[in-house]
Amino acid sequence: MKKIIYSIITAITCIAGYAQVNTNLILMAQPPAQLSEWGNRREVLTLIVSSPGIIIDQFKIKAEIKTVDGTVIANTDLAKAPSFSSNPTGTTLLFANDVIPLEFMMFTGKYKTALQRTGKLPADNYTLCLQPVRPVDYTALGEVQCKSFYLASTQLPILMKPYNEEILNQKTAQTAITFRWTPVIPRQPSPVTYRLQVFEVLQTQSPMQALRSNQPLLDKEIIGATQYIWQPQLSFINSDSAKLKFIWVIQSLDKAGNPIAQTDGNGEGRSEPIIFYVGKAKSN
Amino acid sequence: MITKKLALLLFICFVWSYTLAQTKPVSFSVSGTAGITYEGYGLNRSPSGWTGYSARKPWNQVRFNFTPNFTFGKNFSLPFNFNFAAIPTNFAGPYAGIKNQNFGQFITNPLNSFGLNPKYKWAELQLGTQYLKYSDLSTGDIGIFGIGFDLRPKTWRFKFFTGISQEAVNYFAGPPTVTGAYKRKNWMFQLGKEEEGKYLFAVNFAKGKDVPTSAAPPPLTIRPQEGVVISVEANAYTDYGIYFKAEAAQSTFTKDVTTPLTSLLRGLKPFIEPHTSTLTDFAGQVAAGRKSNNFDIGISAKYIGAGFQTVGYPYMQPDRIDYTVNTRFNAWKKKINVTASVGRRVNNVNNTALKASQFIGNLNWFTQFNEHWSLNVNYNNFGFQAASGMNPYGIKNVSNDFGVNPTFSWTGKKIIHLLSLNYNYSKYDERDVMTGLTTSNNTHTALLTYVPTYLEKEITPDFSALFFYNDVPGVKLTLFTLSSALSMQAVKKKLKLRGQLQYTLGKLNSFKNNNNLVASCNIDFKISKKLTWNTFLTTNYFKYGNEITPNGASYLESISRTGFQYKFDTKK
Repeated sequence: MKKIIYSIITAITCIAGYAQVNTNLILMAQPPAQLSEWGNRREVLTLIVSSPGIIIDQFKIKAEIKTVDGTVIANTDLAKAPSFSSNPTGTTLLFANDVIPLEFMMFTGKYKTALQRTGKLPADNYTLCLQPVRPVDYTALGEVQCKSFYLASTQLPILMKPYNEEILNQKTAQTAITFRWTPVIPRQPSPVTYRLQVFEVLQTQSPMQALRSNQPLLDKEIIGATQYIWQPQLSFINSDSAKLKFIWVIQSLDKAGNPIAQTDGNGEGRSEPIIFYVGKAKSN
Repeated sequence: MITKKLALLLFICFVWSYTLAQTKPVSFSVSGTAGITYEGYGLNRSPSGWTGYSARKPWNQVRFNFTPNFTFGKNFSLPFNFNFAAIPTNFAGPYAGIKNQNFGQFITNPLNSFGLNPKYKWAELQLGTQYLKYSDLSTGDIGIFGIGFDLRPKTWRFKFFTGISQEAVNYFAGPPTVTGAYKRKNWMFQLGKEEEGKYLFAVNFAKGKDVPTSAAPPPLTIRPQEGVVISVEANAYTDYGIYFKAEAAQSTFTKDVTTPLTSLLRGLKPFIEPHTSTLTDFAGQVAAGRKSNNFDIGISAKYIGAGFQTVGYPYMQPDRIDYTVNTRFNAWKKKINVTASVGRRVNNVNNTALKASQFIGNLNWFTQFNEHWSLNVNYNNFGFQAASGMNPYGIKNVSNDFGVNPTFSWTGKKIIHLLSLNYNYSKYDERDVMTGLTTSNNTHTALLTYVPTYLEKEITPDFSALFFYNDVPGVKLTLFTLSSALSMQAVKKKLKLRGQLQYTLGKLNSFKNNNNLVASCNIDFKISKKLTWNTFLTTNYFKYGNEITPNGASYLESISRTGFQYKFDTKK
């Protein structure tokens, strides 16, 4: 009797070992350019692994990133990559950190250099291919699943007008100040909300200190446009006739109100701020 | 509570310093100021319940400043730099949205500074809040609360500082939402040699590290980070006004210290361990030129790698190379002054983004023809071009501004008259990336100002009229402003008064006119040689036409600021 039971268990294990595993890869068409950010956002990549009626003891995911012409620029170091076992319910969900763990991904040539220096790959179209394999000899347990994606680092607006350290005429500035900036590139799927903020720099403050601590005199959200005419409705006469100093900045927000490019720079989606002055007359 | 304690401390310091100032030993002197300022803000909106206009100042704010510099003999000085406010008003940066701050947050809030820099000969001890700039590429934009020193024996420079640039702020879903922040520790040092006006050579180091467990609940969108920058800086100056400046820097920055450690990337041991989110990149800048009384010329270039990041400049925009040529010269017996610059900035140096290129050009030309006439002409151009990804047309935005400002003055028996016209034309072209069509945004601004200066009276009025017109497809905005100001002195010149009245008539498309009235005044009263009382009052009334709903909405806004400033001065 024992021999029969042992034989049945052995047979089931063998079947499981060579069973076909179904996979379904869901990948954002334009994921974050910063590859380390993929793991922080589950919506970027999901791999659904299913093996109906069978428990897969152990498997690994072989990953390859290819350029448009099919050149492999990165693949998994399978010897070091983690192993997974399938969920008893038959469906296992894996995410970016599981299937393309950066600590076990081998990049080639200029792509390795770009990743080391910038955390990003050169802006281009790529294909990600994933395949479940046996942990021992890396033979395939299922078909290869491939999805294309486009990588381009988001560039925040550059502030144009008033230009850095421009001195605005006091009388003109009391009526209207025109602000201009460049758009977010690449163009986003939905219109970008540009939050324009203007802060007064008090005499005891540095410009950056004012930006990080004062309540803005102007805090306006502009959707899609890259110009705003501000009517300050303020008196810019100053007690000691010195020029008044201001710092302005644009924060770029997506349609949900979240900062664009959260992983770059300050994480607030704020561009590099610049200052302008309001004085009695333009400098000569 | 915190504010009360600090106010008490400030008061004690004030009394102490005042007493010292009164007793005034021979080898002791005090300079600097101390004061308190209150600012109140009011906003009434009509009809009631309408929220179309938001408050732009805290309802009440009290600011304190205490910045005396005590000097004992020739070699020892003790400067204070205490500037703080009662109510936090942070809208950007790590403290954004914070309402109730604990002591640590109060001390490190950028709104407040508590610095003390005792100095003996060439040795300076740095205590409390310090905004230290070591170089353009290492650190300079953030305030750190901590301890350090700045030693300058002969031509040597040894600087070190360590402290906290931000305390932890817990995430709060709101409303209003508080994004939160991790506690950040900072270290920096500089080793160098410098002879002022001749040369500087320095090696700079700056490190910042977040404490991942410091915030609970932690921020949702911000990751704990760690970064190190090392830079080498060299400047040289000659007696002929020629200068050369250069700096090269390498940053190693971990964007998320919770990502796994890796051996595949470079770190900078022992300062920083490499994680999968660690980047190592470079930046550099160089400038050379010549300065003289009548002629300056300079050339500069700056490169920031796409992965270059430093905790010392949190808003630095990476991935770019800029180069600029600028000049200034005087001619015609210094009656002509010209400043000009031309430059280019290219993004995407590392090819990780779409190519973007900008052209920047500025010219300002001033001519004093004779004692009556002068003319100022200026021109600014800013062009931006980039691909736009999958769209059929690239992005192209071009901004052109041209201004001309003739001024005529003449002298009567009792009055010097000045008449000035300022006209500016601004054109902004923007291409639609889907259709390729360019829309032009044109703005005309004309300002006429008349300023009579009375030779025998203590009053100086001015009068001005301004016309502003902006035209973009679908939107036409016209503003017409009349304003007048008056400044005068009274009470044996102890009282300075300045007042201003401004009325603006606005019209948007074919909607009814809107109206705006702004009135303001400054009153500065010199109570004694050392004590002044400064007051500023302004009110702003705005009434919409029918361009918004509800029609005819209006608001009345007022700002009142008053404060006392005491000037320490023991010198006769």
